[in-house]
Amino acid sequence: MYKGIKAYFSRHTRDKLEAKRHSADVGSYFRSLITTIIYWPRFDIYLLNMISEMKYNLRKKLDLGYCNLEILLKAIGDGLAKTKNKGDLNSLNLYLFDEQFPISENVQASFESECPPDGKVKLDDLFAFKRKRGDFLFSSVLLIAALFFMVSFFTETGWQSRKLPNDLGTYVLHQFGFGEIEGKVVRFGRILKQSWVGPLLCLMVLIPAAIWNAKSSFRVHRYRKRFLLPISIRYELEKYVAALEYVAYFILYTVLVPILGYLMSTVLLGVFLTWRVGYRTTRWILTGLLSSLIIVLVFRSFLQIKTPISIWLYDFLPSAMRGFMLTYF
Amino acid sequence: MEAFLIGLENLLQPSVLFAIVIGSIGGLAIGAIPGIGPAIAIAILLPATIFLDDLVSLVLLLGVYGSSMYGGAIPAILINTPGTPVNALTTYDGYAMTRRGEASRALSLAYAASFFGGCFSILAALIALFAFGPYLRDLGALFGQRDILMAAILGSVLLIAAHRQTMGIAALLFGFGFLIAMIGRQTTRKIDRFTFDFEYLFPGLNLIVVIIGIFALSQALILLTGKDSDPPEARVGGGALLGFAELSKNKIVTLLSALYGTIMGIIPGVGEFVAQFFSYSTARALSKNPTRFGHGSAEGLIASETANNAVPAAAMIPLLALGVPGEALTAMMMVVFFDAGIKPGPDIFENNPDFLFSLFIALLLINVLVLSTLLLSSRLISKMIYIPNRFLGSLVMILSFVGVFSIRNSLSDCIFAVFFGYIGFILRRLDWPLVPLVLGLVLGSIILERMTAGASQVKSLMDLVNRPVSAVLAISILVIVCFIIWSMVKNRRPYDS
Repeated sequence: MYKGIKAYFSRHTRDKLEAKRHSADVGSYFRSLITTIIYWPRFDIYLLNMISEMKYNLRKKLDLGYCNLEILLKAIGDGLAKTKNKGDLNSLNLYLFDEQFPISENVQASFESECPPDGKVKLDDLFAFKRKRGDFLFSSVLLIAALFFMVSFFTETGWQSRKLPNDLGTYVLHQFGFGEIEGKVVRFGRILKQSWVGPLLCLMVLIPAAIWNAKSSFRVHRYRKRFLLPISIRYELEKYVAALEYVAYFILYTVLVPILGYLMSTVLLGVFLTWRVGYRTTRWILTGLLSSLIIVLVFRSFLQIKTPISIWLYDFLPSAMRGFMLTYF
Repeated sequence: MEAFLIGLENLLQPSVLFAIVIGSIGGLAIGAIPGIGPAIAIAILLPATIFLDDLVSLVLLLGVYGSSMYGGAIPAILINTPGTPVNALTTYDGYAMTRRGEASRALSLAYAASFFGGCFSILAALIALFAFGPYLRDLGALFGQRDILMAAILGSVLLIAAHRQTMGIAALLFGFGFLIAMIGRQTTRKIDRFTFDFEYLFPGLNLIVVIIGIFALSQALILLTGKDSDPPEARVGGGALLGFAELSKNKIVTLLSALYGTIMGIIPGVGEFVAQFFSYSTARALSKNPTRFGHGSAEGLIASETANNAVPAAAMIPLLALGVPGEALTAMMMVVFFDAGIKPGPDIFENNPDFLFSLFIALLLINVLVLSTLLLSSRLISKMIYIPNRFLGSLVMILSFVGVFSIRNSLSDCIFAVFFGYIGFILRRLDWPLVPLVLGLVLGSIILERMTAGASQVKSLMDLVNRPVSAVLAISILVIVCFIIWSMVKNRRPYDS
């Protein structure tokens, strides 16, 4: 009975749970503060979100992705009610994490495949896409960026020094066999060679696509608003801010490599990131350290990939050792 | 035959064989880890290939490409999480079989089907090379600059059309990719395009920097800011060879699926998803028990795995024959071709036929090696599923740095890579496809290059389409554009994307 549960709370899983707890205390304090401030006027919604997230986490933890949580909890409850003491728990066939699972009929019935039940797979099922919250904001930003490049086209592509035929309208018609041009006709290839043609072609794809995309995104946004579906993008923005923390680590690492050397900075980052994401036991810190060392050995020592070598740190080493370190690390 | 033997001889060098082993086993492990796909591994490995021999680099990347889908089936079957995106359909029946206590049967079926699919398309390509080799050598004369320009435009249009529900997004990202391809100083006229007087941008943005940013760093950010999953424990038993026996009972489904995979792989921009869809639908239509599909049907699993593993070898065909990559992974391989000084395109049949044979024989070896590894160490590989995502994220970030920095020892490259990584992170969060951005960059470069090179032969606009091949390609482009417009009008819904 306890086989599955024991496996679940194995050392590896315990570490993961601990990691989750640890990772919550550094960057997340900042994010929690922002969230609380943002949601303070609608604390009731915040509370509901928390409850639904807890339910979701419970489902996920128990691997009940496609199972009705209430039915299973009821089954467990019924089972527990029948048991008189702890020893009787063995009579409950809840092998949730075993290969033999699910023995219980209830659990087996609750499994549903993701495969559509209507007898045939539609191509759209494979490419199912739903615009998320934050989509409208990003689409708008991309539209603005596209418009910016369109404006820049006139100054940044050599458009000012363009060479075009005098009567462009007639020339274009002539290309399709309609207009007549007197005298020498400019070769079309001479126009194609000019530096602004490529950007023009690109903008001919980019601008309509940006408008089309922004329009579609706005329609989804308006639909959500109309039917009182959630439209707040704060959660997404929080995620974007959270990612910036790791972007900062990467930039810091980039700055540190020429100062401390590839070996030292990589080991530092490897250990720090392992600690930062919450894996703080000695075993995991050592795993982080070893993994970083292996990366250095493979790329710097074995593949001889060039990294900054004028490292002041190596100057403190004996000359023979210094030479070795400069060559291989 | 001579080219075949030279190709085989090239392959038997110890360094090449070592690359095959490393690529295959590495790809298998990468495929088995949910969250790290072959695109990330290839993106990180790309800069390292600069320091390696051409054939060694290519077989290394092919090893990762060809074996990752085998590995991807393991978490799809055991924990309902596809290891690579193309294994999504495998979860329908594979996981249902695991829930029934048939995990070992599902895995053995997946291995057998994958092996058959992989070998089928490779053998088809090799037979085609043998049978049509002499004629393919004349192909170079048929394809001029303008024809390849049209082929690149056709590839772009197909790419957008293949993103059925996200065509607007695909077009937009393709446009941005194209725009990035244009950044830099035009060498012949010394005119700066979209550089804004920023010195770093004068030589143009490096393709590998963008690729590592978009694929690897973005995924590292996703993993680092996400949560660790707690997959349930699943046990893998023996009997891995029984799948072949079961495969022989479903000959028609297996053959049709392999055929779909091969054909769809050849069409640029279509790839594994559509191949799987067609083979799965056909298998269901032909099945005596269609209701079993989605609930642990062996035929469903065979259809899905055979089709997606038939694609990699077939996807090499448009890349080699036309120089037009059909998807992100082949686009990345194109970088290695450029680096090796081999221009993929019709001329390759004339100039480097032995190289072609080497590639396809290597793919065959990779399939055999992967199958043997899986048969011997399925249990060990299935343990990879349990590596925590966030820890993996930190490793991907460290690997990305060395990937970017090694290109030209530039710290500015690293800053730009992380910028693209952040953009990729937002795109991933919004479920937007990343491939159009990268293919926009690659195909955009081809379009620009061929347009400039072919301009001297263009007297009027009609000269672009007055050759037989370019005319056929132009008509195909028109037909697909009409199809896109028709499908947009047909599927127009008030709140659709």
